[in-house]
Amino acid sequence: MSSSTVIENPLRQGIRLERTAEPCVVVIFGASGDLTKRKLVPALYRLVQERLVPAEFAIVGLARTEMNDADFRQKMKESVQQFSEARQVDEEVWNSFAQGLYYLTADIANAADYQKLAELLDRIDKERGTAGNRVFYLSVAPRFYAEAVENLGRAGLVKAKDRSWVRVIIEKPFGTDLESAKLLNKQILEHLDESQVYRIDHYLGKETVQNLLAFRFANGIFEPLWNRQYIDHVQVTNAEAVGVEGRGGYYEGAGVVRDMIQNHVFQVLSLVAMEPPAHLGSEAVRDEKVKAMTAAREFTAERVRKECVRGQYGPGSIAGKPVPGYRQEEGVAPDSTTETFAMLTVYFDNWRWAGVPFYIRSGKRLPKRVTEIAIQFQAAPHQLFGADVMELVAPNQLIIRIQPDEGITLRFAAKVPGQITHIRDVNMDFRYGSSFGVQLAEAYERLLLDCILGDSTLYARKDMTERGWEIVMPILNEWAATRNEVSFPNYEAGTWGPQASDDLIESQGRRWRRP
Amino acid sequence: MPIETQVNAVHVSLSKGIDVDKIEKELASMWSDASGAGGTTGSGVTRACTLNLIVYTTPADNRAQLDEMLDLIGEQHPGRILILIADREANEPKLEAYVSTRCRLLGATGKQVCAEQVTIETAGPLVETAATAVEPLLVPDVPVFLWWKDIPHYDNELFDRMAQLADRIVIDSAAFDHPHEDLLHLARMIRNNRRAVRVSDLNWGRLTSWRTLLASFWDVTDYRPLLDAVDRFEVSYDPPNAAPNEVAPKALLLSGWLSARLGWKVVGTAVRENGVINCDLRSGERGIVLSLRRDETGELKDGMVSSVTLSAKKGEADFYVALRAGGTKLETEARVGTEHSVGRVLGYEMRSEAARLSRELAFLTRDSVYEEAVAQAAQLVDAIRVHVSNPSMSDGSN
Repeated sequence: MSSSTVIENPLRQGIRLERTAEPCVVVIFGASGDLTKRKLVPALYRLVQERLVPAEFAIVGLARTEMNDADFRQKMKESVQQFSEARQVDEEVWNSFAQGLYYLTADIANAADYQKLAELLDRIDKERGTAGNRVFYLSVAPRFYAEAVENLGRAGLVKAKDRSWVRVIIEKPFGTDLESAKLLNKQILEHLDESQVYRIDHYLGKETVQNLLAFRFANGIFEPLWNRQYIDHVQVTNAEAVGVEGRGGYYEGAGVVRDMIQNHVFQVLSLVAMEPPAHLGSEAVRDEKVKAMTAAREFTAERVRKECVRGQYGPGSIAGKPVPGYRQEEGVAPDSTTETFAMLTVYFDNWRWAGVPFYIRSGKRLPKRVTEIAIQFQAAPHQLFGADVMELVAPNQLIIRIQPDEGITLRFAAKVPGQITHIRDVNMDFRYGSSFGVQLAEAYERLLLDCILGDSTLYARKDMTERGWEIVMPILNEWAATRNEVSFPNYEAGTWGPQASDDLIESQGRRWRRP
Repeated sequence: MPIETQVNAVHVSLSKGIDVDKIEKELASMWSDASGAGGTTGSGVTRACTLNLIVYTTPADNRAQLDEMLDLIGEQHPGRILILIADREANEPKLEAYVSTRCRLLGATGKQVCAEQVTIETAGPLVETAATAVEPLLVPDVPVFLWWKDIPHYDNELFDRMAQLADRIVIDSAAFDHPHEDLLHLARMIRNNRRAVRVSDLNWGRLTSWRTLLASFWDVTDYRPLLDAVDRFEVSYDPPNAAPNEVAPKALLLSGWLSARLGWKVVGTAVRENGVINCDLRSGERGIVLSLRRDETGELKDGMVSSVTLSAKKGEADFYVALRAGGTKLETEARVGTEHSVGRVLGYEMRSEAARLSRELAFLTRDSVYEEAVAQAAQLVDAIRVHVSNPSMSDGSN
């Protein structure tokens, strides 16, 4: 299949010159949508300003809304001003950027519109030297993914000409269950090669997630401890303070397992659990991630009952402000049984992790927005200091924070200075912000650039998306079958989920960390 | 974002050299003070140490400006800062030290990140031995950066000893007062260095945008063959204030970089015509003319590069990058034949000196691309200085 032809550029050598992409056109389906204006166009604008893409670059926005190039440019200008960190958008600089912005009024379902698109892209190739390279970004409702790919395929738009390449980025959610994910994969792979498909998961664009690989495999001291012999258990917390924010209609059919766990949380989890890859190539890394997830123990109905907890928030308050319960949100049924919180106990049945529980919790309307992985090591084998002295001391923990405040903290015990021996926990902190003092790139910026460069390491592969669904399907099925047995709401907005979640972990002699 | 800086100075009087124990003790007590002031949790201060930064400077230097820069450095690269203020002109010997911390609040968390600082003032004959006062104060296991905030005294013992302590030396070739001579010295120092000291040049950092844009032309597959057909290469620059008759170090470094990367050899001596210096370069059978042109518009400041053009096949194709609008915008254009032309205008924000230094402190590895650029720039200087330098200096030897 098409891959970019690499011709050595002698001027690219050196430690400071970042990678620059080849000429290309990024075509955004769903250009009148929120993601385009909040994330995609600001990210592309920044890539241009950071000189990470060449002058031979263009963006085509495509949606049903009637607009011409000028309207689209004006709209995008406003959104870049509003959502990008560029303080001031200079008129001349913007105009230069805007010359590469095009808009096409088109209907995803209308095959004839793809001919118009093909003509426009040919014209842009000539005008701007974009060399036939394309990224199609499907930022549309999931039900259009297959149709869009099919129509692109029929119009001959996904076949690369001689040295050029064509890639397709597909937004989440990827399917709503295993069956639909498999079907979607089948449908898109009728027209595309897997190497052309980039399933985006913006969590993977975050610096700390990428740092997990460096942290584990570039340091000599952690990896030897990274197994069942030294690790007692792992906690993954993925908390949002927000509710459904007007997306009640969508969320009703989804729930937290589909919305967060099956994709984002599993991606992060696989990076914690995976074996060292043979090299850093995208296939080698993704092979190991899938291999780890393959070892995840199957959820039987009994395991779902005993080792998983679901929850839904009722009215409460966040940051001192009263907020409504889930059932009071717009678009939500007053007797909804959709879960807004879930806790899962995952076991990896392999040599490295046999018997080590990975507790996962994810939910909406929890006290704050935080995503972190806490690795809890085993307690010292012998309590030299006596129980009274050690009372307040927890076993060593390594906390990897993904958002906000990306960084790593190691907690260990130290003696409190004084005549009597008191032992207390102290934290050793590493924060991205203060140790490197750099502004971290937006996840979308990084991922878009990776796609343009043809690096799919941080994108989800077919087998990974399907494996994610395979793992959660028994949970979804069991919960659906017993939806009348739950008494929702069972946690107050602004708390860390239902009491059952605390009870479950505490029944195993452990407790949730307060993130 | 940081909102507060605290500098607590504790004077350490010295009569018999630097009392390292006393300094360490003072610093330790300042940490506990800062920690106590951090809030009720007692965990208000984050102590992180990523490097040692030795700053060599002179009393004439602007201290307020330096302090401002170090605030940012302390925040982005927490560690120990050792400032050595050397007064070589003084007759009276002097050796004094005081310690301080620079703390910055991190957002609304109330947490502070602090850097510690030791300032050593030295004068007269004691300047030469000051390196021995610095060495015991270095924090072990983290890299040592030496920021030589003066024109390097290459043959000087203090520079030599301090360079031995450092993993990386940061200089600024824009501050050279005799750019041609100083570049030759720099090239020699890099070449002869016994311990292969790694050099960072703030001026090289200023060229990163130029290099990125010039390189990005050749990421375009269709243009790539034209790189092997370049026959003219023009760099325009504003002459340096310190030596208006000499070529700006930036222009020399940029020309040196491009020709070194492309394997172009300097042949013969340069010719000066109407404010333009033409040098002959060669790549196999192909001749390339490098023109170093003084920008007379006065729009730019002190030694800045204003434009670079690469032409191929006798003008059939041009690749052009220029700094415009008083140095706030970059314009690029790739033109092939009469039909094809793609260009753009990008915002150009000059980084603050502190941000630039901070960036240099992120690199530890040897920058061989820079070193080769300096070596090539030195060859260009050899080829051109006969014509442009002060006659008394143009004997051609180095």
